[in-house]
Amino acid sequence: MKRVLALFGFIFLISIALGLTPLAAAPIEDQLVIQTPVTKFITDAAAKAFTEYAKKQWGMEIKVSGLYAGTPVCYGKIVEWKGKPQADIFWGGESALFDKLAEQGLLEKLDVSKAAWDAIPATIGTPVPLPLKDPNRFWVGTTLEPYGLIYQPKLLARLGVPPIKDWDDLLNPKLKGQVTQCTPDRSSSSHASYEIALQLHGWDKGWDWLKKLAVNTGTFATRSRDVPSLVSKGEYAAGFAVPSYMAFEERLAGYDVKFVYPSNAFVTNEPMAILKGAPHPKAALAFIEFLMTGEGQRVFMERGLFPITPKYKVAGAPGSTAEMAVEFTSGVRSFYDIKVGNIYKDDVAQKRYSEVNDYFRKNILEKHKDLIK
Amino acid sequence: MNAKGPSSPTDALDNRRRLNIGGFSGISIIYLFLAVFLIYPLFQLFYDAATNAQGSFSLMSFVDFFQDAFYRKAMWRSVLLGIGTVATTSLLGITIAFLLVRYDFVGRSVSTYLTIIPIIMPPLVGVLGFVFILGRAGTVNVILQDYFGLVKPINFMYGIQGILLVETLHLFPLMTLSILDALSKIDPSLEEAAEAVGSKGLRRFRDITLPLMTPGYVTGALLVFIWTFADFATPLVVGINDLLAPQAYLNIVQFVDPRLFKMGIVISAIMVVMAIIFLILAKKYVSLKDYSSLAYSKIERRKLSPLKNVLVVLFIGTVLMFAFIPYLGIGLDAFGRAWALTAFPESYTLHYFKRVIIETPKFITNTLLFASLATGFCLLFGVPIAWILARTKAPGKDTLDSLVTLILALPGTAVGVAYLRAFREDIPFTSTSLLSMGIIIAIVLGVRRLPYTVRGTFASLLVVHKSYEEAAESVGAGKMRTFRDVTFPLIWKGILAGSLYSFILSLQEASATLLLTVPGDEVLAVGIFNFYTSGSRNEAAALGFILLVVGAICFIVINRIAGNKMGGVFG
Repeated sequence: MKRVLALFGFIFLISIALGLTPLAAAPIEDQLVIQTPVTKFITDAAAKAFTEYAKKQWGMEIKVSGLYAGTPVCYGKIVEWKGKPQADIFWGGESALFDKLAEQGLLEKLDVSKAAWDAIPATIGTPVPLPLKDPNRFWVGTTLEPYGLIYQPKLLARLGVPPIKDWDDLLNPKLKGQVTQCTPDRSSSSHASYEIALQLHGWDKGWDWLKKLAVNTGTFATRSRDVPSLVSKGEYAAGFAVPSYMAFEERLAGYDVKFVYPSNAFVTNEPMAILKGAPHPKAALAFIEFLMTGEGQRVFMERGLFPITPKYKVAGAPGSTAEMAVEFTSGVRSFYDIKVGNIYKDDVAQKRYSEVNDYFRKNILEKHKDLIK
Repeated sequence: MNAKGPSSPTDALDNRRRLNIGGFSGISIIYLFLAVFLIYPLFQLFYDAATNAQGSFSLMSFVDFFQDAFYRKAMWRSVLLGIGTVATTSLLGITIAFLLVRYDFVGRSVSTYLTIIPIIMPPLVGVLGFVFILGRAGTVNVILQDYFGLVKPINFMYGIQGILLVETLHLFPLMTLSILDALSKIDPSLEEAAEAVGSKGLRRFRDITLPLMTPGYVTGALLVFIWTFADFATPLVVGINDLLAPQAYLNIVQFVDPRLFKMGIVISAIMVVMAIIFLILAKKYVSLKDYSSLAYSKIERRKLSPLKNVLVVLFIGTVLMFAFIPYLGIGLDAFGRAWALTAFPESYTLHYFKRVIIETPKFITNTLLFASLATGFCLLFGVPIAWILARTKAPGKDTLDSLVTLILALPGTAVGVAYLRAFREDIPFTSTSLLSMGIIIAIVLGVRRLPYTVRGTFASLLVVHKSYEEAAESVGAGKMRTFRDVTFPLIWKGILAGSLYSFILSLQEASATLLLTVPGDEVLAVGIFNFYTSGSRNEAAALGFILLVVGAICFIVINRIAGNKMGGVFG
């Protein structure tokens, strides 16, 4: 009996010892490559937070690097890689593109825990619900990000224009030549916002509204990122279709700009997926799981974005970046606290994608000089 | 019998045979390099442009291009913009070159220096710097609005006028250099002779000087034209996209619409064809009228009266003031914190430099690594090519000459696209493609900057008389040994200056590399783009500032070595 007890005791000690020593093989790979259109502002912060997390969790150094390109380029690269990707994760852009990649068999199913998966609501917004995760589990939303308006208060004051609150404020005649926007054929945020106008007002009236916007537009920026930069510099007074984090990035850099979430504005969830054949699949999954935690969501909350789960709210000590973000967006702490209007139907938008671009090019861009007369 | 003696006839024959084999394989390697990294990518570009989705021959894409009014307009506008820039740079470049070569005035030597500096201008940096100073909320407009009651800001930048301004003030030194080189080679006795028979002033300029400097001018003009024609970054910043280069770039960097992607390839191919046509035209013109002598002549400079001296200094000072605007803008934005709607930044910070130097030092290390490797390629292939061109009657010598000149004329974006198409498949017998390896950056830089090393070496080889080498060979030295002991010591300055130009211009290159860069391999110029496209203009400015400093140091070194006689590098 004694010997049996001793044996059990021995086994018990061994198991404790084993439990305490890290496994010889690391639980995840020590590298992670992210292909993304999301700015370094967000990705660097997420990478840094994840590196610290990995160190704490597994006592290991992980090197996270980002491959930056516009959404279309990212998509094209992933298709061109033909299942032999040079990156592990695709992050950001429209979920429709993720569905397309999944159809081509270029994404890996996400094997995250049920609790984490269920914490994210399936959709947000009324009357048209926007999906926040893929029912087939090929992608998952990471945050909530409205495409809104940005303005330069100092310049508005100089022009005698009251602060901007909604879409129609951009049509103020005093703002003639003072608005900047990216062309919808070059920017997904601009295209989505064009669709909002068209689906809100209907095709003809929608274009009328957009033509009035064009009259007030000084320059069509070629890249969407230029819009907030131009406004914060004071080159233009207001910018159309700007993702909230881009605007907040300018605010954090010290520029005096404000962001508006106008009614029915497009909200994206910055989807994330693991690429099939990813060189570092375990690290990729760990990264996604990390972003779903409160610690992970904090990365977004401190950068002008909103938590994807109702559980978390943007909040922090007075004077903290999180509180600055709340003030910047005029008091929004969670999208689950406010009315999220959505009229955007993706199938409608996808079907006429090039039609909208062509119409824009023929009737607005090429006629811009005549429109502003 | 002394069998090892250099005079032994069998030994000399052996030497020659060894050399022939060595020479033959040397030439073969050079041709192989150019075939793989120049001809093949271009071939692939045309092949892709002229095949349809099913892979069969079709010129439909070209038809699409020419049927689209938008692209026709873009092409036309690109050509006009190129011609416009040639006109403005000619005006500035020729005037400055003349003043520098023919007249002696206060501040002449420092002007020689300063008027060349604007050529050190990485892509994006120039136009961003201008926007910071001359934009709608730039220093000038803010001052006009705040102190002079201007209501609406003046639009200096957003439009074709902005591009013309940026390109002119960036590229006029190319013109100055080319003319300077040509003028320095004109034998003064020709002009004296003209004057002796009564030809003076403008007439003498028209009849004698102009024809003599034409070859230099045409090369300068071609370079300015191609540079403007191929620049896609400047138009994008000022919101212009109906030009060929931005269209090629924008269509390539989007993958959603395969039709547009194809159009990007087609536009690149068309740009290459156009560049080749302009090159042939220029060559024809130059070869018809090349009367210039090869040696630099000693030119007496005339002293200027005090009044004229003041005018000249004012003129050059004004040009320089404008040309240095981007440096001021970039400097202010790199150090200025959240600079908006004030004439100058209200507070200064080192934060942006900390981010780009300490947090991401890879831009700097990669740049030095790849630019050095590229310069290595330039030396490895450029020096032998120059030697073949200057000293031998090797078969295909003319082809080699044309190829090297062709490189100068090729738009960087098109080269990038061509590489992208040519090297995406796995290298035979391996499972990686060249496109996924960093070395591709060094190769494309090396190829694109090869001509400068070739020209620098070639120019100095022409000055070394062949008789020195013949003398060495007559006493039994082999060609290699002659080169090492006699030729090299005489021409190393030319090689060094040429390769430093290759180096400086490699530092600044982003048009081809931007499309080919894989993560971790970003160089400074690409880093500027990355920061700019991700909205961090201040960091882009800080990187630009660093690149400017590195460029300026290299430039000063070149000038110390070669003086101002390096115009030939660009010819």
